[in-house]
Amino acid sequence: MIRVKRLFSNYIFTRIVRAILTIFIVATLTFFIVRLMPGNPVEIYIGQLISQYGMSFQDAKNQAAALFSINLDAPLYEQYLYYMRNLLRGDFGMSFLSQGTPVSTMITAYLPWTIFSVGISILISFSLGIILGMIAAYRRGGLFDHIISTIAAILSAIPNYLIGILLLIIIGVQLGLIPVSAMRGTVSPGVTPGFNLEFIKDIFSHALLPILTYVVSTVGGWTLSMKSSTLNTLGEDYVTVAKARGLSEMRITFSYVGRNALLPLFTSLTMQMGFLMGGSALIESIFVYKGIGWALGASIAQRDYPVMQAVFLIITIAVIVANFIADLFYSKLDPRIKVGGE
Amino acid sequence: MDNRILSIENLSIEYSNIRGKVKAVRNVRLDLYKGESLAVIGESGSGKTTLGTAIIRLLPSSGYIKEGKIIYRGNEKEYNIAQFNESELRQFRWKEIAMVFQSALNSFNPVLKIWDQVLDTAKAHGLNNKSIVREKAMDLLRFVQLDPERVINSYPHELSGGMRQRVLIALSLILEPKILILDEPTTALDILTQRNIIELLRIIKKDMGLSMIFISHDLSLAAELADRVATMYAGAIVELGSVNDIFYHPRHPYTLGLIKAVPTVSSSFRELYSIPGSPPDLINLTPGCKFYPRCEYRTKGCEEAEPTLVEITPGHFVACLREGDIADGR
Amino acid sequence: MNWKHLLKSIFIEPLILISRDRAGLIGFIILLSILLMSFIGPYFIKLDTIVKLDQIYQFPSRAHILGTDNQGRDIFSQIVNGGKDVIVVAFLAGLISTLIAVSLGALSAYAGGFTDTVIMFITEIILTIPQFPLLAVLSAFIRLTNPTMLALIIGFLGWPALARAIRAQVLSIRERDYIEAARVLDLGRWHIIFSEILPNMLSYIVISLIMAMTGAVYSQVGLIILGLVPFYGHNWGLMIQLAWTRGAIFYKGSIFYILSPIIAIALFQWSAVTFTRSLEGIFNPRLRIGE
Repeated sequence: MIRVKRLFSNYIFTRIVRAILTIFIVATLTFFIVRLMPGNPVEIYIGQLISQYGMSFQDAKNQAAALFSINLDAPLYEQYLYYMRNLLRGDFGMSFLSQGTPVSTMITAYLPWTIFSVGISILISFSLGIILGMIAAYRRGGLFDHIISTIAAILSAIPNYLIGILLLIIIGVQLGLIPVSAMRGTVSPGVTPGFNLEFIKDIFSHALLPILTYVVSTVGGWTLSMKSSTLNTLGEDYVTVAKARGLSEMRITFSYVGRNALLPLFTSLTMQMGFLMGGSALIESIFVYKGIGWALGASIAQRDYPVMQAVFLIITIAVIVANFIADLFYSKLDPRIKVGGE
Repeated sequence: MDNRILSIENLSIEYSNIRGKVKAVRNVRLDLYKGESLAVIGESGSGKTTLGTAIIRLLPSSGYIKEGKIIYRGNEKEYNIAQFNESELRQFRWKEIAMVFQSALNSFNPVLKIWDQVLDTAKAHGLNNKSIVREKAMDLLRFVQLDPERVINSYPHELSGGMRQRVLIALSLILEPKILILDEPTTALDILTQRNIIELLRIIKKDMGLSMIFISHDLSLAAELADRVATMYAGAIVELGSVNDIFYHPRHPYTLGLIKAVPTVSSSFRELYSIPGSPPDLINLTPGCKFYPRCEYRTKGCEEAEPTLVEITPGHFVACLREGDIADGR
Repeated sequence: MNWKHLLKSIFIEPLILISRDRAGLIGFIILLSILLMSFIGPYFIKLDTIVKLDQIYQFPSRAHILGTDNQGRDIFSQIVNGGKDVIVVAFLAGLISTLIAVSLGALSAYAGGFTDTVIMFITEIILTIPQFPLLAVLSAFIRLTNPTMLALIIGFLGWPALARAIRAQVLSIRERDYIEAARVLDLGRWHIIFSEILPNMLSYIVISLIMAMTGAVYSQVGLIILGLVPFYGHNWGLMIQLAWTRGAIFYKGSIFYILSPIIAIALFQWSAVTFTRSLEGIFNPRLRIGE
């Protein structure tokens, strides 16, 4: 029992350490980019305040310090510690444009929508993809396989934001199926949040196009991966032995082929979550879906540096956490992981 | 009463390949008598594994039975395995005939515990009583000299290669099959483990009265465990006889070559012998004897017609025109 | 190192084998056509910059194969002239990524030990950071004044994804006998990497390069659409960005204007990926389907 615990904590422990370390490094990098790069936003902002508003250097510096949540008078390493401490407290500074709005408020307003839309999309896309992929593998060479594989290949090659625009055009504009302008935002004004049907219907209808975009652009990849993995698994000895043992097709398909074919796909799952969170910057902008990706796009366009900095950090943290959860999941599914760490 | 539990009659098996049809097994006729151990010996590509897997109809998708019968006589009835449908095959496999494949290293589902896989097997054949199945499994694990408690709750990767081979052998006996086919049971194992497995198989042979078929390229396995030996070359049986006949009175040049190729402890390096040449292309077969290009004893007549099995002494069959000239031993 | 043999195996044989793989052949032809159109086409079909307000959003006709845009300019000429910038930047970025990935991946795999751990650790860190947001944020800080800068930052962020795969490939080659022989002969680490290991991975490297290019197209066009790349003259990405900011997306008549660049980009990506996949099948026969 003790041995199992030690090994278990070894794998999980490593993952936790790595996650925290990465977050730490990214936060540090963000700080140094913002503070040290020539033409960095703090300097620019101070310069702007001085030239445009005629502020004194000291006043401009104070305002910048408040906005960015850093102490400009202290030596650099102290500024850094101050910054990190604030981060740990959840203080990301104040937004430039919406004066007086703490960035953390904005993040809590936008982040859940992205997690909601991306999360649901990955669930749908993954589930659909593995089913299609397995069927394509079992009926290799047949009509189903040819059609599905070709469509999958085409869809996965097109950049996801272009698929978003295409969906917008086809469904929204050309076919007029969805009132596009009313679909902006994540929730219709006037709808009360809560676990009521109207709210749930509303948020889903707003999230429909982004979710559809994510799903359509990723389902092809899952299908092809699962098909290839299933084909590999079908060639494994234990499948032949399972047949020799007289096991039923159902049992073999699910517990012998399916479960083993799934395992390699989990590494791609982590990469895809990162990729989709990254792509959300574009996709949410296209549909004006007010999630964290849209916030990033908007803050970059408006050069709202505190928001930009914080949103970028949050997106990275979200990806790291999601990867970590996926790793945990994987370690539960593959018994070989528990032994010897990695 | 017919003493033959399995009769293979005029069996021909082919594989579809881009270059043509691979004639892996050609018109093989072979009987397995109740309670005996039969070894099928040959090099890679001889067709022995194809023959073995065909008995339980587990050929890969590109393989098919071109013609012939596989008659199984059990439960006081006669069946032609070659004509079973999927459902009949599923009931038949492992229950009547079990096959232990080469290198059990990957024979178990990596994500399921051994117990789950044992239960799978039992349930698939209608044995749903978990406690009975567990008791049987534990007995068999003890029989193959493994620690039952430890093994049954393990995942396959937690066991060594030799252990997995034993577990597979134990599992193969759980439904009390009448015939056990073992394909290269000792290949890919180290020498010590090989010895253990051979001893185990000897005990099984003695105590359980199963009929067994050993498929191997390793002659010494046949010498240890077989009652009768068949040597296969290029998809056909070229010699068949009791283990004494084969080892002390071999009459086919190929069998002779195989025996000569086994180095003894006392032989020096200079005396190492190997059959020159390589196996023929099974897609485009030449007429006449297939061993002709590599044969020391070849003559003119060998190229024209393929020799068939002829009984030269009771129970000893050879397919060679020059069997009469072939001396015993080296 | 037999150069003639090497060239033959890289160019001639694959072409023969590709012609047998239908999808790969179509991909190759389309890719070649797009490349020809983008680099040679502009000499024949000049970009239509004349504003003709009486010909806004015309449907395709004999005069204008793909119709006209919101200022009466011919769309087809815009498509023909729109690929070069994108492809050149993508190629540069891909080249940078591949060079870094190959050097670091090979070094990491060959040297092993501490070097390997350090390089892989850095790779992991960069990989975890979502690439597109990082690019977007960097483009706000760094003034992107010319295509080379754009190619540089995309290239410098793109190598980790490739490095891992390269390292895996080198690891498998490292164990082979001729490498062992070279090591025994004490031929020097970099010499071994560049003269013995890499030439055997040339096909793999070419495939990595093409895949890096498609990734660079994704990043590049994404940045352009978000309006973060201010210096460009005219290209497919810019067409999409203009259509979006001018609301052309929501106007039914402008469908050719918005669809043309999207299809051009999509075709380029798809043909590159398909061609690469069939190349993979050729250089790694075990992957070949149907045999």
